[in-house]
Amino acid sequence: MSGIVVVGLFDAVDPAAAAARALRALPLPEGDVTTLSPMPLPDGAVCRDPRGIGFPRFTLVGWFAGALAGLALALGTYLLYPLITGGKAIISVPPTLIVTYEVAMLGALAGTLIAGFWEMGLCRFRTRLIHDPRIQEGKILLCARVSGDEEARRAMDAMETAGGTDVRPEEGEL
Amino acid sequence: MNIKWAMAIDLDRCTGCGACVVACVAENNIPVVGEAEVEKGRLMQWLRVARYWEGEYPEAQAVYLPVPCMQCERAPCETVCPVYATYHNEDGLNAMVYNRCVGTRYCANNCPYSVRVFNWFDHKWEKPLDEQLSPDLTTRSRGVMEKCTFCIQRIRRAKETAEEEGREIRDGEAVPACVQTCPPGALLFGNMADPHSEITRKLKDPRRFRLMEHLGTEPRVVYLKRQKGAGR
Amino acid sequence: MNGSDHLARTDPGALYRELSRSNLPTTKKWYLGVALLSLVVLWGVGCFIYMMKTGMGVTGLNRPVMWGVFIASFVFWIGLSHSGTLISAILRLTNATWRAPILRGAEAMTAFALMVGGLFPLLHIGRNWRFYYMIPYPNSRQLWPNLRSPLMWDAVAINTYLLGSLTFLYFGMIPDLAIARDHATGWRKKFYSALALGFRGTHNEWRRYHVASTIFAILIIPVAVSVHSIVGWDFAMAKVPGWHSTIFAPYFVTGAIFSGIAGVVIVMATLRKVFRLERVLTVVQFENLGKLLCTMSLLWGYFYFADFLTVWYNRNPEEWEVFRSYAADYLPLFLVMIGCNFVVSFPLLCMRRVRRSIPALSVVSLMIVIGMYAERIMIVVPSLARRNDPFIWHNYFPSWVEFSILAGALALFLLLYTIFAKFFPIMAINDIQERLFQTTDRKIGGVTVESIGMPHDTGKGGHG
Repeated sequence: MSGIVVVGLFDAVDPAAAAARALRALPLPEGDVTTLSPMPLPDGAVCRDPRGIGFPRFTLVGWFAGALAGLALALGTYLLYPLITGGKAIISVPPTLIVTYEVAMLGALAGTLIAGFWEMGLCRFRTRLIHDPRIQEGKILLCARVSGDEEARRAMDAMETAGGTDVRPEEGEL
Repeated sequence: MNIKWAMAIDLDRCTGCGACVVACVAENNIPVVGEAEVEKGRLMQWLRVARYWEGEYPEAQAVYLPVPCMQCERAPCETVCPVYATYHNEDGLNAMVYNRCVGTRYCANNCPYSVRVFNWFDHKWEKPLDEQLSPDLTTRSRGVMEKCTFCIQRIRRAKETAEEEGREIRDGEAVPACVQTCPPGALLFGNMADPHSEITRKLKDPRRFRLMEHLGTEPRVVYLKRQKGAGR
Repeated sequence: MNGSDHLARTDPGALYRELSRSNLPTTKKWYLGVALLSLVVLWGVGCFIYMMKTGMGVTGLNRPVMWGVFIASFVFWIGLSHSGTLISAILRLTNATWRAPILRGAEAMTAFALMVGGLFPLLHIGRNWRFYYMIPYPNSRQLWPNLRSPLMWDAVAINTYLLGSLTFLYFGMIPDLAIARDHATGWRKKFYSALALGFRGTHNEWRRYHVASTIFAILIIPVAVSVHSIVGWDFAMAKVPGWHSTIFAPYFVTGAIFSGIAGVVIVMATLRKVFRLERVLTVVQFENLGKLLCTMSLLWGYFYFADFLTVWYNRNPEEWEVFRSYAADYLPLFLVMIGCNFVVSFPLLCMRRVRRSIPALSVVSLMIVIGMYAERIMIVVPSLARRNDPFIWHNYFPSWVEFSILAGALALFLLLYTIFAKFFPIMAINDIQERLFQTTDRKIGGVTVESIGMPHDTGKGGHG
């Protein structure tokens, strides 16, 4: 859902934090105020992330999916190709463990990667995303998702008062 | 009838003449690689007669030890092959499937007897020598392992003949080329699951031992120890 | 103290230009270097095709030495690959503050060393053109791999490790690709835009990025350990005197990390010199790597001694013959190994002066890499050359074809690295920036020291 986002550039953390406090007092919900910064800021320094970080559970899901796949590969081999080698039993535990382990780890890596990308909102190539390359000069872009012109005006006021430059409404996704 | 092929090698009778090796080469389309390659350690023979010296000169005596594939019941070569190119067949033989082999050579490393040989090159038989090739089995391309099969083509033929005639395979019907050729009769081949076969009798000889028995490979080739003493 | 809440203590644009020096000007020298390396790679490829067409007989291999330098190189390159990902993961998890400039270069080294190492089993097998027989997929030939073979364990493990390392490398690079995208123009802009996957640096992205980096670091460490254990088991599973040893898995992992760190030092010293990164890659990094090397040298010596002692005391004749060959035909190789890995390098690494001198440390590292290569050959060859039956004992020396292919492999690694450095951020720009942001100068009496403030509510230690 595309919406109106008010953005403003800040030179330093303190004014950005002040602006963010003002925006929250408008009031805007926590999830609608965020920053674009060239490096990570501690949670709460400027804005707070109300969403829980859920994707690590997919690491576990991936691990188990991988383990199942590995186990299936090993057991399937014993079932479909019961060739005796070295006078040993067809089913052997240690190789099964090794194969299961390696495929499980692959599954965990894949699960983390896919779920992580999904939750970070990467790979949205068709969506118009709010961005300002000037953050790479060390600036912070404060963004507030607003509904309606009135809220937009008040948000812009708040940002300008706190020392934001180039404050403007933009259309796009956060 | 249950079949368990086995071979006995009587070291007391072996003279080290090497006729078994020649017979093996002729029977199994084994390439002759020439002096230079042999010097590099690339002899293709499936059966070697290892020669050791006992005692010091002038009392030194040669000891001969023919070493074919041991057809181990717990063959270490089989487990390490990543593509099942070598496995145990229903007669308990250590079978080698050339077409499956990709040539990792792991099996050769894991064979304590080092009886596996590798096709380092494609081998050609100049005309008219190609006429000597046995049609019963293939020639092997470069990059695959090969080894003694107990002349599996002869075993197959004997089994098929027996089946056609609707009877059990007889003792002495399947004979590998080396066994057939050995002038002093040092080699004996047969079914050790058959209680009346000659090999079963021979295997009860108190002189019996197996090569590197401590490795637990359970070879199907049994040696009969050389006797020491007067007249030897 | 210059405005501590400004995100950039230094001008970020200038920092980017400094750190991405490898990307921008394509000089004649670069083309020349790439051309030269390509030539060597082509020569190696040509020799490989010749070997494939003619047969493995063009190598120096024989019976009983059925495995030679290709397998030794396989172990060596896979070992070298343990530097990057493993070190970088451990440094991330332990939050080593000096890590930032090392990460990318080390991770890239892992990826390329793995690619090169993974080629060797394929070069080595007798029927290279039938390599797909080892891949488990349903086919009309009724072929299927044997999971009991350690080679299959290897295949599965290296597959996981390669994909994992590439993920680790790529994921860690995303913020830097975003930086590059925002600075670049023209086709590079499109290139980096596609690769950055729309990463912008929102608060949510950063938080999740931290967590994901931490998870990747946690996952990749056991994978790295398992990979080299399995490489060790390729040998330890075999009934070959000198190979069949319970110590092999941890010993191989140790050796891998040892040679890996030495590799990282060489790569870092080269990058520093070539791309003039003296300001970022300082003596601190090299000294710390030197300390790690010193520890690993000691650990390697300890493992080697432990393995040696059991055989020496036991005098099992089969194993003892292998060890006796160390003192005879393989004496030069043995001396190179023991000298480069321990006897000479350990005392040198104990010296602060050596650790703090980048040229000296580079020379010691080069020595260690050579020593470790000798060690791989010492593992593979003498054990095979002195197999159970003395009648077939035979020595081995590689042929010109093998040497050419080895040279081609080295050139391939360098080529991949050179190309990577041209198109990708070779320094972890974002990590370096972040570290600069966290650092403030603090006066303690008469001295000014660097003080690092590390926020504890985001990405504790997870961020790279």
